[in-house]
Amino acid sequence: MTKTITNNIRRLRFDHDEMTQKALADLVGVSRQTVVAIEKGKYSPSLEVAFKIAEIFEISISEVFQYVEQ
Amino acid sequence: MSYKERSTWISLAILIYIWLEYFLALFSLNANSQLTVETVNSLLLAVVIKTIVLEILLQITIAIIDNKDADYSADERDILISLRGSRYAYGILSVGALLTVLYTVFPTLSTLAIFPSKELLAIDLPNEYKVMHFIIIFALVAEIAKFSTQLFFYRRGF
Repeated sequence: MTKTITNNIRRLRFDHDEMTQKALADLVGVSRQTVVAIEKGKYSPSLEVAFKIAEIFEISISEVFQYVEQ
Repeated sequence: MSYKERSTWISLAILIYIWLEYFLALFSLNANSQLTVETVNSLLLAVVIKTIVLEILLQITIAIIDNKDADYSADERDILISLRGSRYAYGILSVGALLTVLYTVFPTLSTLAIFPSKELLAIDLPNEYKVMHFIIIFALVAEIAKFSTQLFFYRRGF
């Protein structure tokens, strides 16, 4: 079984007053396309970006990203 | 499409357009027996000037169109994509450098299929200009591979 990184960013954005991808990107300091790629699971961000995202949503990193079996 | 991706498309298009024009002019002059070192030098100068002018004009144009992202600096994903592209380009350039050295030391090897172009070897120019064109061709292929790889990862995701 291979493991993959998934995330709840889309739901978390929705729960935070429907925060746009652009707004999140600006807060994190990356491009909107990078946020899109992270959300879709096409790009695994660095730990620093992952921590920043968790900090913006005021939750722990494991609540944003999960390492699960496919 | 991100600002970086659009900028990469522009650079790739400029690169292909300008160097295609250069090699078409080179072979056309050679076919008409008008090829001299001076004409090659002016063609190369034209390539440099056109590249600078077109890059400036087109990059300004996309900065105006996409003005919200124009001041955006590369993020970690852009840097990784750029590095991936450079890795392929480096490999191609290394092979090119090795082949150019082989050609310089053992000119008879140039009959092998691995060398860029038989037409290029047949052009009526001093040997150092042929060697220079080998380097140009490999650098060109390396740049095209770099931009194409970057665009592939921007499209597919990374």
